[in-house]
Amino acid sequence: MIRLGAPSTGKKSFSEILSANFVPLMFIVICAVSIPLSGFSIGYLLNEVVTRMGRNIFLMLSLLIPIMAGMGLNFGMTLGAMAGQIALILVSDWQIWGIPGMVLAMILSIPFSIGLGLMCGKIMNQAKGREMVTSYIISHFMNGIYQLLVLYIMGNVIPIMHHSLKLPRGYGIRNTVSLLSMRQKLDNLIPLNIGGVKIPVATFIIIAFMCLFIVWFKKTKLGQDMRAVGQDMDVAREAGIDVEKTRIISMIISTVFAGFGMIIYLQNMGNIATYGSHVQVGMFCIAALLVGGASVEKASIGNVFIGVMLFHTMFIVAPKAGEAITGDSMIGEYFRVFVSYAVITIAIIMYEAKKRKTKSQLGRQLALAQKEEGNEK
Amino acid sequence: MKNKKSLLIKIAFFAGVVALAVVMFIIGRGHTVYFDNQKLEYEGKAYECPYKIEVEVKGERVAKLYAKERGSVTTIGSGFKMVLKITQEQNGRETVQEISLRLPRNMDGIVLNLPAIIAGLPEEAYLSEFIAAPVEEPEDEEIVTDEFGIGE
Repeated sequence: MIRLGAPSTGKKSFSEILSANFVPLMFIVICAVSIPLSGFSIGYLLNEVVTRMGRNIFLMLSLLIPIMAGMGLNFGMTLGAMAGQIALILVSDWQIWGIPGMVLAMILSIPFSIGLGLMCGKIMNQAKGREMVTSYIISHFMNGIYQLLVLYIMGNVIPIMHHSLKLPRGYGIRNTVSLLSMRQKLDNLIPLNIGGVKIPVATFIIIAFMCLFIVWFKKTKLGQDMRAVGQDMDVAREAGIDVEKTRIISMIISTVFAGFGMIIYLQNMGNIATYGSHVQVGMFCIAALLVGGASVEKASIGNVFIGVMLFHTMFIVAPKAGEAITGDSMIGEYFRVFVSYAVITIAIIMYEAKKRKTKSQLGRQLALAQKEEGNEK
Repeated sequence: MKNKKSLLIKIAFFAGVVALAVVMFIIGRGHTVYFDNQKLEYEGKAYECPYKIEVEVKGERVAKLYAKERGSVTTIGSGFKMVLKITQEQNGRETVQEISLRLPRNMDGIVLNLPAIIAGLPEEAYLSEFIAAPVEEPEDEEIVTDEFGIGE
């Protein structure tokens, strides 16, 4: 009998551990060097990191389900972010404020997110094995549609009553939409201050529920199906799982959660950069997840938390550290943008390299096994 | 039977979500309420403004208005309660009045004339819509689609 698979010794060597955690370790080093150079106090840094955790974690958690289903990093999460933004623009125009405004925006974003997730999932089923690049291009394509909607249809076809939202020409939405009426309403719902560090308790409670949902979801029939599809689509199909449907469901869930996450993110920011917020978050969330030690095929809740802490610490300290080193804060600003893209590139290269290595290892094992079988005969 | 039960659960869930959206739409309507301590004339009768009015909303003082002054507060929902601490004359005695109003849904900014409320006049006398003066703006705004918001 031919048995394939990489030989497992149980214990990992130091170089294996190093290579598996290369990205987080690199970021720990970057942060360790940059923090003293930036001159920020620990209290300030903690405050900033905790704020950014509340702002970003929910969005990043939305990336876990497609990874579980073997669809890689969902660049299409920007679709959910667009849905969240559209809902927030409408809610702002209707003057629904505070927590009720947020809840209404979340509910409104659901049909948009389901539609976009369904479309994205169906397209990705036609491009199996190339999901990441497909979702990336879909996000650019949909960004064009979003801009058409927000720039020309809103105010022309979709009624927008308030001039503060509309461009001076009478239709289209302004570059920045103020969310002052719901700014940090969720974060400040249960106020807690520990040693000068503001903790957004209500936001963390919602994040905790989301984490529990993911843990529970993994154990459900659908969750198990997704894992099976993620491991091997052919085997999953043989086992009677509707692979295509499962993949579409994972995209829909991810897009809906990305929409919710975007609303949580923007209530913290207090304004919408109408034509840019959604593009930024997609890239930053994926980069942060990878920084946390996730890979294209495996990610956990722990990766989300580590990633957001490391990536955003780098993001906070980079401009000041850049200024201290070069005398120009823009160097640090460019550095953090460059690092965001670099980290995604490194992760994808490492994933491809690992895939090829495993493939060639399996090929060698197969050849060896066939040779042994031939000798036995 | 199982399918019917599942369908019923789905319908109930959908109805629940829609109901929640409707409730949020109703209770989340935000208004900016402006308080005027201005004298007014209604049906040929003049109503003088008190020397000073302090306005408290949810236990917090939001305005302290002398004659001809205006204050404001933002509020969510159609029910609005405030406590007015009225001093008719300088060094005079302070009286307290609790007021409950229903704010009209179709108005973003609402101007309340406090002397009219104190005098117990009808809504048409004390409530009017706040209309902001038009702001001169450039013909068009440049749309920024810069991915990282860094600029040039």
